[in-house]
Amino acid sequence: MTALLILFLTAIAVLFAGLTKRSLLQPLSLFGTLLALGATGYDLFGPGFGWGMEYASMFRFMPFAHAFSGVAILATLLIIALSGWGFRNLNSTLGDHYGLILFSLCGALILFSFTNLTMLFLGIEILSIPLYVLAGSRRDDLSSNEAALKYFLMGSFATGILLFGMALIYGATASFDLGAISRVIGNGDQMPGMLKVGILIMIMGLSFKVSAVPFHFWAPDVYQGSPNLITAFMATVVKTAGFAAFYRLFAIAFPGAEGFWSVPVALVAALTMTVANITAIFQQDFKRMMAYSSISHAGYLLLAVLAIGTEGADRALLFYTLTYSLATICAFGAFIIVAEQTGNSSFEAFNGLGKKQPLVAAVLTLSMLSLAGIPPLAGFFGKYFLFTAAFAKYPWLIVLAVINSAISIYYYFKIIIAMYFNREDSQETALEIPAGVRLAVLVGLALIAWLTLAPGSVYGLI
Amino acid sequence: MSLIFILIPFIASAILLLLRPAGLSRHLALVAALANLAATAYCVCCDYSQGMTCTFSVPWVASAGIHFSLGMDGITLIMLVLTNLLAPLIILTSWDHKFDNEPRYYGLVLMMLAALNGVFLAQDGLVFYIFYELALIPIYFICAIWGGQDRIRVTLKFFIYTFVGSLFMLVALLWVYLQTNVNGAHSFAWADLVAVQLSPAAAHWVLVGFFIAFAVKMPVFPLHTWQPDTYVTSPTTGTMLLSGIMLKMGAYGVIRWMVPLAPEAMHYVDPLFISLAVIGILYASIIAVKQSDIKRLVAYSSIAHVGLIAAGILAWNKTGVQGGIIQMLNHGINVVGLFFVVDLLERRLGTRSLADMGGIAKSAPKFATLFMIIVLGSVAVPLTNGFPGEFLLLNGVWNYNFWLGVLAGLTIIFGAVYMLRAYGLVVFGAPTPATERFEDLNTREFLVLGIIAGLVIVLGFFPQSILGLTEASVDRILSVVQF
Repeated sequence: MTALLILFLTAIAVLFAGLTKRSLLQPLSLFGTLLALGATGYDLFGPGFGWGMEYASMFRFMPFAHAFSGVAILATLLIIALSGWGFRNLNSTLGDHYGLILFSLCGALILFSFTNLTMLFLGIEILSIPLYVLAGSRRDDLSSNEAALKYFLMGSFATGILLFGMALIYGATASFDLGAISRVIGNGDQMPGMLKVGILIMIMGLSFKVSAVPFHFWAPDVYQGSPNLITAFMATVVKTAGFAAFYRLFAIAFPGAEGFWSVPVALVAALTMTVANITAIFQQDFKRMMAYSSISHAGYLLLAVLAIGTEGADRALLFYTLTYSLATICAFGAFIIVAEQTGNSSFEAFNGLGKKQPLVAAVLTLSMLSLAGIPPLAGFFGKYFLFTAAFAKYPWLIVLAVINSAISIYYYFKIIIAMYFNREDSQETALEIPAGVRLAVLVGLALIAWLTLAPGSVYGLI
Repeated sequence: MSLIFILIPFIASAILLLLRPAGLSRHLALVAALANLAATAYCVCCDYSQGMTCTFSVPWVASAGIHFSLGMDGITLIMLVLTNLLAPLIILTSWDHKFDNEPRYYGLVLMMLAALNGVFLAQDGLVFYIFYELALIPIYFICAIWGGQDRIRVTLKFFIYTFVGSLFMLVALLWVYLQTNVNGAHSFAWADLVAVQLSPAAAHWVLVGFFIAFAVKMPVFPLHTWQPDTYVTSPTTGTMLLSGIMLKMGAYGVIRWMVPLAPEAMHYVDPLFISLAVIGILYASIIAVKQSDIKRLVAYSSIAHVGLIAAGILAWNKTGVQGGIIQMLNHGINVVGLFFVVDLLERRLGTRSLADMGGIAKSAPKFATLFMIIVLGSVAVPLTNGFPGEFLLLNGVWNYNFWLGVLAGLTIIFGAVYMLRAYGLVVFGAPTPATERFEDLNTREFLVLGIIAGLVIVLGFFPQSILGLTEASVDRILSVVQF
């Protein structure tokens, strides 16, 4: 709650600061997110503030919420640190950018803590609406406009479906409260048809939000068209928030009905990882590849939802979202540098990077290896925890997931191959990398290294 | 103590990769490798009759039962001797090469060394798996950056092939792990995994999962198709690391992990596994006889030899397993020698084709003599190092099944045919203009090849020194695992 308030106030302050002092924007946002991260850490590791943990049975901040807030705030912090460079061509709207990112983060924090369906809806809207604007923030770029429109249409469609589901569930259980819904469902042997349809529709709506197959069609275009940092934000914070919400809803409200919803979710998971990985093989553009990669990770993350009830499912989800977010942000940080240099986002832009920018290439290599889940990197532990959590219930799905992570090596390695083994023709001089970008990327890398060496420190957190 | 084997090369590798001391890299690499060799020499003097020694264990992910635990017994010791004895030799063989970005090259070689030592020392299932995979990353980069023609395609195939294989192992390992129950929690410790009683059906799948991983690595027919291309394309150092040491990860994994974890179904699947190994021996031998490229010939001979090691170990009797362990060491020494010879020929003549060679005996007598000793070792002539291992292996397979033993025995005949044919074509016959100007070995080359030839003879005379080190450990593992 404290972190939520800090972020909200920072966002408002940033909006006003944008009118007068532009040079203050990034430091102010950084300061606000750092403060929020500190408050979350105090709640999680320290004695905690002890107030505002619960509000009118609308949300409740438990260790689960604190830990996920930590992941999302950390990811935002790194993105803001990268933004000094990524946003430097923006003129009048800089303040709006930082403000919108912070507002969106507030939505994510609500999604980590909601105990009522209305808050789920509000959280998703607060998370999404700023992003519709941000996706289209390169106003003179046609693809950015396309991304914004697509994202807005698909997003509002999904929200509509979600609302429809909520209405049906309310009709069947007469409550918006997660605990009350769970009590009405009981052990799930007498579920009215309205409730079943409601749950199914909720699965569809949330699948839209987390871009699971077959509701993923918007993702590649939106990811490609949006400004790079916004894409990174969507791929990390939004995905983390979406999955935490998915998990919370099903773990608290629908655990009794597991026999009913687990089969469709398992099918969606199987489809998501397979289709996304196979499609990713054929991509020639870094951002599109990362879009499909992010869809495929959504498939793995659904395993955590399926593992609800198994010891360690929430921890696995936490660890996975953290490692995935860090690796993705590092990859985008490196990509922004490459894109600045070449003005190109196809794989050829990476040719010869190993020679020109050894540091950037090393960062990108490690993030790709981590995303591919190659031991001993943090991404491997993420996959390992997820797969073990779901293994007892769905052995066949784990075998499929394992085969899929093998497929993913192919496209992640394309980048590595381009950087180190493909010769570059033009001999441009290496671009000077600003200290802030370098720092952000190195912090991300250090955190990946830390998670590699001591995965237990985060896994044992909740 | 056991941590040293991983830490020394790892720290040296980190220094090389991060600080890039341009002029000093190969010296630093050699010093690190020699320090490891000294540590190994110290460990040879320990007592291994009482089970695991030099154990080291810290919790890694305590809540999930993962501990970073290492330990040594006689079997591990021989693998460490293999790794750390060959590593300085391998570094010396590439001493005269001018590599683009030398610190990165030697940094990767040392990282590989750290991972290999980790594989052999690991006493925790997940630690084993992680090191097993970690070894793949440096060798991939070594082959893909400094390799020959078509290296990108070949190395990616190699990487995906072996990675997919290992993923099957991971699934099998997870399955066993989820059946463990130590005070209500799961555990990856070797002893806990071994204690699990699997149902025959589950044990079946677990064995198959492990076998796919190890069969890809060794490689065993029909999962060997990545190997000849990768060997030929890799730089010689990479080929030596792959064939000398990395293949043995698979055979070692069979002894330490595969059979002990799921002996319940070995009865049913073992005949299939051994038959595949024996088919591989014959298949690779026949192909080797027809090769005209000497590097490819050595690559196929390696498949045949490792096939015999696999067959002997899978026979799972004392002679077979003992023979497998001693032959892993000896094959490592011989194959590194052979690939060094190939590298010398290629560097001096600019070709690997046997047709363009001949008459080197006249111009380079030292080379021809040492080459001869290594060839004899590889053909398993009595009183060379190849003999005791192959004899024990064949004896082990023979005890398992007479006919399989006979078929596997053909490898000796085929081995003599293709190795002596290659030797004859290279060294004797009419010299060509190129081979007439063939320079004899310089001091460093003579030193490396001389050490290898010396080992071929010494280990041939005193096989008991090695068998004695492993006997107690082999007895223990055979007594724990019966089927």
